[in-house]
Amino acid sequence: MRKGFIAAALAVAACAVVATVAVAKPAGPASPAQLASCTNVSLAFLGPLTGPAAFLGQEQISWLRFGVQKYNRANGTRFAVTEGDTQLKAPVARTVARRLVSNRKVMAVIGGSESQAVRVSGNLFEKAKLVSISGSATAIDLTKGRPFTTFFRVVPNDGVQGPDIVAYVSRTLRADNVVIVDSQDDYSVPLASSVARGLSARGVDVSRESVSADDTDFSSVVANVGNDVDIVIFATQVAPAANTMSNQLREQGKKAIVFGTDGAYSPSQFKPNSGYVSVFAPDLHFDRSARAIVRAYGRFVKKDTSGAFGPATYMAGWVAMTAITKACANGSATRAEVVQRTKGTNVPSIIGDNIRFDAKGDLRGGGEFVIYRITNGKYAPVG
Amino acid sequence: MDWDKLVQLLVSGLTLGSVYALVALGFSLVYGILKLLNLAHGDVLMVGAFLGWGILGWLGGAQDPSVAVWLLIVLMILGAMAGCGFLGVAIERFAYRPLRRAPRIAPLISALGVSFFIQNSVLLLFGANFRSYETFDLVDVEVGISWGPLNVWIIRLIVMGSAFLMMAGLWLLVTRSKLGKAMRATSFDREAAAMMGVDVDRVIVKTFFIGSALAGAAGVLVGLVFGQINHFMGFNYGLKGFTAAVVGGIGSIPGAMLGGLLIGLAEALSVGYIEDFTRGRLGSAFSDLIVFLILVIFMLLRPQGIFGKPDLKKV
Repeated sequence: MRKGFIAAALAVAACAVVATVAVAKPAGPASPAQLASCTNVSLAFLGPLTGPAAFLGQEQISWLRFGVQKYNRANGTRFAVTEGDTQLKAPVARTVARRLVSNRKVMAVIGGSESQAVRVSGNLFEKAKLVSISGSATAIDLTKGRPFTTFFRVVPNDGVQGPDIVAYVSRTLRADNVVIVDSQDDYSVPLASSVARGLSARGVDVSRESVSADDTDFSSVVANVGNDVDIVIFATQVAPAANTMSNQLREQGKKAIVFGTDGAYSPSQFKPNSGYVSVFAPDLHFDRSARAIVRAYGRFVKKDTSGAFGPATYMAGWVAMTAITKACANGSATRAEVVQRTKGTNVPSIIGDNIRFDAKGDLRGGGEFVIYRITNGKYAPVG
Repeated sequence: MDWDKLVQLLVSGLTLGSVYALVALGFSLVYGILKLLNLAHGDVLMVGAFLGWGILGWLGGAQDPSVAVWLLIVLMILGAMAGCGFLGVAIERFAYRPLRRAPRIAPLISALGVSFFIQNSVLLLFGANFRSYETFDLVDVEVGISWGPLNVWIIRLIVMGSAFLMMAGLWLLVTRSKLGKAMRATSFDREAAAMMGVDVDRVIVKTFFIGSALAGAAGVLVGLVFGQINHFMGFNYGLKGFTAAVVGGIGSIPGAMLGGLLIGLAEALSVGYIEDFTRGRLGSAFSDLIVFLILVIFMLLRPQGIFGKPDLKKV
C-alpha cells in the first residue's frame, strides 16, 4: 500500500516536471523583444524607498499603486507593481535596473525618480527596449541629445525650473544677494549652477556652498551666509534638511530665508516661518478641480496626505498602462511595442494639460514649475 | 578678519566636537579593554536618538510636552542612556563574547553584522522617513545667549554642557572608583587582572554598558541640536567618532575628548575657511577632506595619537 502510494506520488511529480519543462520558456534573462501574455504584467517602480529621500519615493509608489488600482477597476486589467529601491544611490539604482530588465513581467518602469538613477539605468532599459517614464527626474541632460531613446518624463525639466527660479527671485522677490547651496549630487549641482548663472547675469550677487546629502548640521555653512544675504537657494532632495537650514539661519540671527527646490516640498517636514519652494508638479490639495481624486487617494491610504511628488508618478503610471493596453490589443505585446505606443501618448492629466511627448521624450510645450510661498509653515501657490 | 563668523564657527565646532567626543569615548573604552573596534557603536547612537524621539513623543511631543522642558530633556537623555546601555550589553553578550578567543578579524566582521542588523531593524520598526525632534518648537531658536551679532541657542549650550558633564563623570569613574581601577587593570593585562580577583567578564559588560550609554546620550543630543534623525545617521557619527578616537589616541579617555573636539572644530572651520585658503579652488563640500587628512597625517606621523602610547613589545 505504502509502496504504491510512493510510486503514484513519484509518477505525479515526474509528470509535473515534464509538463513544466514543456510549457516553460527558456531560462535566463528576458529577450528585449519579450512577448508578454498581457494578463500578468507589472509596472516596476524605480525610486528611493529607503534612505534620505524615502519620503519622496514612498509617496510616489503609494500614488502609483492608487493609480494601478483605479486603472484596473476602470479597464478590467490586472496590472501589478514591482518595487525597485534605489536608496538614492546611483550604484544601487543600476543593480536594481538590471533586475527589472530580467523580470519578464515588467513591461514598463516608472522612474527613476531621481536624475542620477535615470542616468545609470537609461542605457540598460534602452538595450532591453524597456520604456521608463519618470514623474520627478528633472535634469536637462537626460533628454538633451536623446541619450536614452526609451526614457520619457511627465514633468518639466530643470531647463524650465532654473529660469523660473531666476525670474521669481530677481524680479518678484528683488533679491540682491543670494547664496546657492547644492547637495553634491547629479540633481542639485547642475540646477544650482544654472540658477547661479542666471542670477549673476541679472546682476544679483551670488555665492555658492555645498553640503552632503547625508548632512544633518548646516551651522558652519550658515556661518558663511552674510547678514546682507536675502535668500539661500537650497537645491536639495531632502525636505528635513531644508527645515534645519532654515532654523539654523534663524538661530544665527541671519535674515536670509530658504528657497527650496523639488525635494524640499513637504508641508509636514519643511515648515519655516518664511520661505519658498519650487516644485515640478502642483500639490493637488490646492486645486479645487482635483478634490475628488484627492479624496479618493485619502481613502486609499486611509489618511489625509499632502504632497507634490505622487500625482506626477500617478500620471507616469497611467501613461504606461495606457500604452501597454494599446500594445496588448491583439492579446500579446513586446516591450518595443510599448515604447512605440508611449511615443504617441495623448492622455488627459490631473496635474496640467494633456500629456504628450516631444521627440526627446520631454513634455510637449515644456510644462511649468509651481512656486509656493510658506508662511508660518503654511503653503500657498504663488507662481 | 570676520570675528563674528569665527566665533559662530567655533560654537558649531564645539557642539559637533562634543558629540564626536562622546562617541569616541565609547570606541576608546571598548578598545582599551578588548582591543576590539566596535563598528556598531555609531548605530547604538542612532538607537539612542530614536529612543529619545520615542520618549519625546510619549511625553506629549515638542509642541505640547506634558512635563517641564528641562525635565523632558533629562528624561530623554537618561532613557536613551539606559536603553542603549542594555543594547550594548546584549551586543557584547551575543556578538562579541563568543568570539573573544577567535582571531581579531572575526569580532570585527561580527561588529559589521551587528551594525547592519541594528540599522535594518530600526528601518523595519520606524520606516525610512526622517524623524524630527522639532526642537525648534520645544525651545525657540532665539532663546539663548546673544552677544552683539553672536547668537548661541540654549540647546547648543545644553548639548555642550551635558557632554562635558558626562566626560568629567566618566573621567572620575575611571580614575577614582573601584570599577575604574578594575577597568584599568583589565585594560592593562586581562589575565593578570583575573588572577588578582577582578571579575573580567563583569568589567567588560559594565564597560559596554557605559560606552553604549554615552553613545545613547550623544544620539539624543544630536536629535536635540540638529532636529532630524534617520536610521542611517549612525554611520557618519560612528566614522567621525572613530577618527576622533584615533587622533586622540585610541584607548585614552582624555585623548578621545580632545580628539572629538579637534575633529569637530576642524570640520566647522574647514567649512568656513576652505574656500578662502584655497582661493576658491575648493568649496565647503571638501570639509571632510580636511578631517580625514588630519587622520592620515596622524597615522603617518604619530600613529598612537595625541595621548596614546606606542605599542611596545618585549622581545
